[in-house]
Amino acid sequence: MKSCTPYCITTGPAGLLPPAAACCGIVLPEKGQGLVEGRLVSEEAALEVMAQELLSRKNPTIFPGPLVLWAWKEGVSEKAASVLELAEEIPGVRIIPMPDYRPIYPKIDPEAVINPCHPNLTIWYNKIEVCVFVGVHCHFANITLRMIRAGTNCYTITLCHSAGHEDSMASLPFCDVEQVRALTEAVRRLKRQGLRPRHGDACGIQLTHAQQAVEAGLVWRPA
Amino acid sequence: MALKTLKVAPGFMRFMPKEYQDLVEKGPFGRQIKLSELGTFKEVLEEHPMCEGCAMALFIRLSLIGLPNPEHTIIVGTAGCGRLALAQAAIPFVYGNYCDTNGVASGIKRGLAIRFPEQDKDVVVMAGDGGIADIGFSQVMHAWFRKEKFTTVMLDNEVYGNTGGQESGMTCRGTVVKMAPTGKQFEKIDMIGLAQNAGVSYIARLTPTNPGRVVSTIRKAVLVARKIGPAYVQAYTSCNIEYSIPPDRVLDDARQVEKERYGYLEIMTDEAKSYLAQVEAETRTPEAVATV
Amino acid sequence: MIKTEKQRVVTPEYLFFEAPRTRSYITGSEAANEAVRRGNVDIAIAYPITPQSETMQQVGELYAEGYLRDYYRAEDEVGAFAAMSGASRTGVRCLTASSGPGLMRGLETVASWPGHRLPLVFLIMCRVINAPLSIQPDNLELGYMLLTGNVVLHAENQQDFFDYTLAGFVISEKCEVTLPVAVAVDGFFVTHARGWVEMPSADLKLPARECYSEAVPMIDNENPPIRIARDAPIQKSNFISYQMHAAWQQEIQAALERSRQWITRYLGGLIEVVNPGAETMLIASGSAVSQSREAVRQAEEAGKEVGLIKIKSLRPFPGEELRQACAHAKRIIVPEFNCIGWLNREVRSTLYGWVDAEIADGPRVCGGITMPTEMILEWVFEGKPL
Repeated sequence: MKSCTPYCITTGPAGLLPPAAACCGIVLPEKGQGLVEGRLVSEEAALEVMAQELLSRKNPTIFPGPLVLWAWKEGVSEKAASVLELAEEIPGVRIIPMPDYRPIYPKIDPEAVINPCHPNLTIWYNKIEVCVFVGVHCHFANITLRMIRAGTNCYTITLCHSAGHEDSMASLPFCDVEQVRALTEAVRRLKRQGLRPRHGDACGIQLTHAQQAVEAGLVWRPA
Repeated sequence: MALKTLKVAPGFMRFMPKEYQDLVEKGPFGRQIKLSELGTFKEVLEEHPMCEGCAMALFIRLSLIGLPNPEHTIIVGTAGCGRLALAQAAIPFVYGNYCDTNGVASGIKRGLAIRFPEQDKDVVVMAGDGGIADIGFSQVMHAWFRKEKFTTVMLDNEVYGNTGGQESGMTCRGTVVKMAPTGKQFEKIDMIGLAQNAGVSYIARLTPTNPGRVVSTIRKAVLVARKIGPAYVQAYTSCNIEYSIPPDRVLDDARQVEKERYGYLEIMTDEAKSYLAQVEAETRTPEAVATV
Repeated sequence: MIKTEKQRVVTPEYLFFEAPRTRSYITGSEAANEAVRRGNVDIAIAYPITPQSETMQQVGELYAEGYLRDYYRAEDEVGAFAAMSGASRTGVRCLTASSGPGLMRGLETVASWPGHRLPLVFLIMCRVINAPLSIQPDNLELGYMLLTGNVVLHAENQQDFFDYTLAGFVISEKCEVTLPVAVAVDGFFVTHARGWVEMPSADLKLPARECYSEAVPMIDNENPPIRIARDAPIQKSNFISYQMHAAWQQEIQAALERSRQWITRYLGGLIEVVNPGAETMLIASGSAVSQSREAVRQAEEAGKEVGLIKIKSLRPFPGEELRQACAHAKRIIVPEFNCIGWLNREVRSTLYGWVDAEIADGPRVCGGITMPTEMILEWVFEGKPL
């Protein structure tokens, strides 16, 4: 008789084509639970791990997706504000949006966007070692997460509005303003408890060169 | 209203790429734009991977300016050159299977009519001569027979450009192209005549030589499809690669073809004519002019 | 007032498990139609073909009565399935159906639905697909369906056809699934034969589709992003394009995996086991299950205990369940209604290396022939060559 060993979702690079976590026995969390490296944990435990990783790894980056970038329905503005509030607590953090899902021509500017057709370009270029996806439709989040796990060493966190993501290293399902704020609180708590953030103590979102150029009204040419 | 999908959530604008900032601030959404304004607004299609000098790219660009309500428009395409540009446009684009554009468009139009009975939603099929007159022929004809209320635009480059230059049903008789080694053996399919027989409400044939006419033709087609019945626009959009037309001579070729066999043609039902006249009259009222 | 507006919306759990049911003696086609009546379906499009037409023409009557919001007879199956692709993208609840050659004609589209992440229910009333032309029952076409990425449920009888169809809408539209659900039955044996079906009141219906809670954006210009090349033409020839396509294909398999929990919740599991301790196990799906049930009964009369595993879900396939249910088996027999033995292949590849049992290569019937229980018993008692 064959036997199975539990599959773990740890940081990559996992290789050419790692399997989908869902096909390796990893199941999605219920409401009130989280998923850490493929294991079901309590929501609080998941938040703790997320906060720890966001403060400890290099170049933390938040990737807001269309569902939170565009104020298309009631409640989005509040959620967007909660995401910005979270960002403010993470020293060295950047915000790089995923405003759409098209395969961008002629090529993406990795300082301006992340795109599900080639997410690794943004991760590699910006040397991102921990990231948060929020407001991305689940299909596109899942393929993005799998590609990141395959080809990069980035720790992926998902604050999912729906059922969560098996392929991210830490995932929280049914995530609304309350859960985002809880993560912000967890980050604050860890700092209060003495955790020294990887990028120092200075809070405030760092603009990428592309974002700085746009803000200054300059013409930006990606590298 | 769909413009809510163009409103950036508070605090995020500074992180958005420049092209999105421009689309939000200077896009053609929610207002009627004119060709003469070109250069003063952010177009829904700018960068695309079409070949240098491509007439199809020009036609698509102009067509998108002609859409009366891009914020309520969905474009359906299929395999072929056109979708390379259409996938980059700031308009939802559905890229389906081979042959299925007009079936998919039928489903989209009907689905949207169920969900949004009070809001006009425009569906525009933009596909090549192969997609419309060959592999998609059955679905095109049946959508017309059913009087589905959407626009079908044939980007007619008279060849399978994207697969490397094979004969299509719209290739002219006698032309030697791939898969027609001794020249095409039969006439170019008369899709205009077929559209007439099928009872299409608005039919037009044109080339991209006159940008204003492209814009107004597309606008009329979409408006008729919205309220009256199916619309069909057949545009000569040469493949300068397969027909060896130098990029800087593409419009010369279009003028020549237009003169010889592709002259501007507009056929519409009385109902469509009367509706367009009504729309025209309404847009000329002092109130409407003030808002344009 | 149109009739659908008079129906009361209830939760799927109430409709499936709690609402009082009454019995009716109806055909499989009528059972499917009754499921559609309670399914809060927005649009149904199909092209006629025997034996599917019985159902879809009745669904047309439902439309005329006001239970559906739109309905039409398409030009052919490719047109019908394409229109489903369009309608499902806009967020309405969709239904289509076909049989044998019709399914094969539209297979390109059917195989594209999962990649496009299109929730809908696709009824398959199986029929011979190979030449010479025949309208008789035979489920060879399901061998092709197994490769498409659709959830594929195989109903045994009229009751299943009702229950699976209704559950199919709900499973299909779950965010983590967002896939088409095909509900198959063997033509004529189920579609045109009567059986007892227990159904909740026709005054009840499922909640409407919640399209903004699914895995992909809707094509309606009312939800972001404004640029939705949802069906990304990934045709650049570089590694990252290949990788994206690979990850996309994996996602379909992952979504199928995620449907297990919902199939388990709404259909009571992916399999049903009769006589779990028997050394000889029959494994079957569809009408072959009914014949196998009777064979099990007759074998018992003859003094031999025979087990039966009914496979309800062909995709996702109940691999782990089969391994557990067959762990003790000494002999496995797979009765099928097709000449190729697609279920036998599935069983063999699933159990290879996991069980010590001999797996018999049959029995099979095809071309419209039913499977007499004597045929199954021959394999049970006489041990046909393995």
